[in-house]
Amino acid sequence: MPMVLLECDKDIPERERHIYLKVDGEDTRDFLPISNAPTIPGTLSERGCSFCGAKLVIGGVLKDTIQMIHGPIGCAYDTWHTKRYPTDNGHFNLKYVWSTDMKESHIVFGGEKRLEKSMHEAFDEMPDIKRMIVYTTCPTALIGDDIRAVAKRVMGDRPDVDIFTCECPGFAGVSQSKGHHVLNIGWVNEKVGTVEPEITSKYTINFIGDYNIGGDTQLLQKYWDKLGIQVIAHFTGNANYDDLRGMHRAQLNVVNCARSAGYIANELKKRYGIPRLDIDSWGFNYMAEGIRKVCTFFGIEEKGEALIAEEYAKWKPQLDWYKERLKGTKMAIWTGGPRLWHWTKSVEDDLGVQVVAMSSKFGHQEDFEKVIARGQSGTYYIDDGNELEFFEIIGLVKPDVIFTGPRVGELVKKLHIPYINGHAYHNGPYMGFEGFVNLARDMYNAVHNPLLTLAATDIRGTTAATSLEAAE
Amino acid sequence: MGCEITTKERAGVINPMYDCQPAGAQFAGIGIKDSIPLVHGGQGCCMFVRLLFAQHFKENFDIASTSLHEDSAVFGGHKRIQDGVMVLAQRYPDLRVIPLITTCSTEVIGDDIEGNIAQCNAALKEAFPGRKIHIVPVHTPSFKGSQVGGYSECLLSVIKTIATHKGAPNGKLNLFPGWVNPGDVMLLKRYMREMDVDATVFMDTEDFDSPMMPDKSIHTHGRTTVEDIAGAANAIGSLALARYEGGTSAQYLQTEFEVPNTQLNSPYGIANTDAMLQAVSRITGKPIPESLVRERGIAIDALQDLAHMFFAGKRVALFGHPDLVIGLAQFCLEVELKPVLLLLGDDNSKYKKDPRILDLKAKADWDMEVVCNADLWELEKRVKNPDYQIDLILGHSKGRYVAIEHNIPMVRVGFPTFDRAGLYRKPTMGYQGAMDLGESIANTLFAHMEFNKDREWLLNTW
Repeated sequence: MPMVLLECDKDIPERERHIYLKVDGEDTRDFLPISNAPTIPGTLSERGCSFCGAKLVIGGVLKDTIQMIHGPIGCAYDTWHTKRYPTDNGHFNLKYVWSTDMKESHIVFGGEKRLEKSMHEAFDEMPDIKRMIVYTTCPTALIGDDIRAVAKRVMGDRPDVDIFTCECPGFAGVSQSKGHHVLNIGWVNEKVGTVEPEITSKYTINFIGDYNIGGDTQLLQKYWDKLGIQVIAHFTGNANYDDLRGMHRAQLNVVNCARSAGYIANELKKRYGIPRLDIDSWGFNYMAEGIRKVCTFFGIEEKGEALIAEEYAKWKPQLDWYKERLKGTKMAIWTGGPRLWHWTKSVEDDLGVQVVAMSSKFGHQEDFEKVIARGQSGTYYIDDGNELEFFEIIGLVKPDVIFTGPRVGELVKKLHIPYINGHAYHNGPYMGFEGFVNLARDMYNAVHNPLLTLAATDIRGTTAATSLEAAE
Repeated sequence: MGCEITTKERAGVINPMYDCQPAGAQFAGIGIKDSIPLVHGGQGCCMFVRLLFAQHFKENFDIASTSLHEDSAVFGGHKRIQDGVMVLAQRYPDLRVIPLITTCSTEVIGDDIEGNIAQCNAALKEAFPGRKIHIVPVHTPSFKGSQVGGYSECLLSVIKTIATHKGAPNGKLNLFPGWVNPGDVMLLKRYMREMDVDATVFMDTEDFDSPMMPDKSIHTHGRTTVEDIAGAANAIGSLALARYEGGTSAQYLQTEFEVPNTQLNSPYGIANTDAMLQAVSRITGKPIPESLVRERGIAIDALQDLAHMFFAGKRVALFGHPDLVIGLAQFCLEVELKPVLLLLGDDNSKYKKDPRILDLKAKADWDMEVVCNADLWELEKRVKNPDYQIDLILGHSKGRYVAIEHNIPMVRVGFPTFDRAGLYRKPTMGYQGAMDLGESIANTLFAHMEFNKDREWLLNTW
């Protein structure tokens, strides 16, 4: 029985189709978990809404852009101080959030005037900022406010500003994923091709689907600089709004997160003929392979090999030190979707770690195809896992460490299982060679945390309390 | 000179001080034992609030969503409510309370919450004979008020739904502390124990600071039981310690069940705590014990070392929940700190007439401003303004960058305080809370003096 009905799901048997236990010799044509499907109400799912998929994940990363959220205050409050994407301009994007603070009268009489006023105020209060994204939310979408018309009026009044609108209320779609899609397609429809970037290199790329979590973008930028490759746009780590308007001029789209940003890469291919190259930026093998592919495209293989050799010389001994000590560690990954397939093989190859269970909040069919192909037999692959399922799976696979969000991290802490922040990292960046050593270090520090041994000790027991030294 | 009460002039908000109503309702809902709030709306309305609580308490709380998707937005979310309730009941056998919390979307769609609850109750009765689950209707559209009102609304609805009739007097005292930390709840419970008073705290969040146990058991949940809530109608009296967070519940119990209500200043600072203990003594006939007189003395003794040497004349900006901000402003006066700016973050028109604010206004012989419906941009603008010369900020973590960018010492207090360790465990209320807060302020100022080489030599001999 490769599809698994957990004990906790006996009253919601449809969950069986979302949980797969990989067995040797099977074929994912027959056993692919249902994904990107509506959540069962009341299950304590981990999913967020599509608004957050647009604002929090992609748009809010931009370092020079006002994020005007047209809705009640909570949509702004809740998507502020919940991500770790610093920038090289002092983290303007982390410091501020903007809301039209919709009240009942605006729901009754319409909120467009309120929006227009809030937009002008925002530009007036921060006169150096000239770019804005406006988002709808559940109530403003339901009452039908025309945010595009408002944006057009404001741009008419202020010739020096540019505004993008994103109509993605929280109830659209079944998860964050819908928001990624709406923002991707909207951007390529309306903004790509409206700025001509300055070309400074023979080799140009867009780096797509990387949000500078913990400094990822900035770390990888060192590689592109060494290779002499100009990144026209990072979509959207540490990026300026106008960088993304010039994406049409790149020779190659290098895609890391295919789930949140594969759409725009496909559209750029269709409309501008820019080829799409998918790479994995986490892990030594993968990163080296990614650099080789990019360099092969440009015919600069020697530069790529030199960079890889230099990075290996610098970081591989450290990685191996951790590998020696992490070998056989059992890891679970409960994150959004793509990191499941980015990580399962890289931690196995580079660190000797066994991934024993994975749950995806918003992955689609192709994410499960990839992760099941890359992952191990005997591992659980779960779509939209919920709290009781997590408890049961933990009992079945007994992970040593779980890569997940901070809230679930607090939950599993009580079960004496350390967590690593799988979304925002503990002490990132985790991409690239140096980044993967960071990941290994954080995992090592987590599983060797002496407090875990102490926590397991019941001082009322017959065995004498172990000293810290002995506990190690 | 004098106090001016103003309102933010901008329509929009830059950096909100409060979350929306459903967030507050969820906080009240998790304070009940064997309760899982069910948020009727998009998934983000629940997921992000759970994250917010996790950030502040470093704990996980169970909150469910009806996972409103597009079809429900068009055709209504009735089925999702009923499915959600049934799934929770099936999978959580100990569940006794489901606060059903609406959001902006479901209020706009106009789902009939009470009608759905009636249907759910019938379905539950059939599926689980002999088991009672209280489904509490909580109407909290996000486009009204804020988390402050949402907390109060949920609390009131829980009381109305569960405390339905007057029984035999139980001799207990109802305490409504408002949205406070476990540290405050523990302090209030200790004070009641020391006074030999049997009290119920609504909500008892002591276990929001929960242990890692050898047996791996999870203790993170509210402690206020269904019986506690039902018994609220039979108490000898209610103390409302927060006017805007639970005051309406205490009032309801008086109107409906003749439980005498005493609305007090929130017990921040010495005098407000005195008033609370004297009220408890008056209602219960129990004397204030020597131990609390002693604790009061220790607090005053500690604060005496700080007030006229370090605190006097320091200009303080305060922001956060209204009862907290007003209470801390009163505390500031006790220790010679000068509250010059009070920011209250929603459009509740009652703040301007709050007797405590009017009292501060009457006392102020310095420039002081109270900004209603404020956001943190109002704080930032004033911090940048040399006329204000803010020496100290008291507020929650959402204002952290105002302090960081402008190099102003800031003491974290209120909710959320995710960028400092363990604050949820420490009381701010009571004598101990006043002392701890005063000492935190002092130590923060001291570190600031040292890192900015600003008369740090003063401390060579202190």
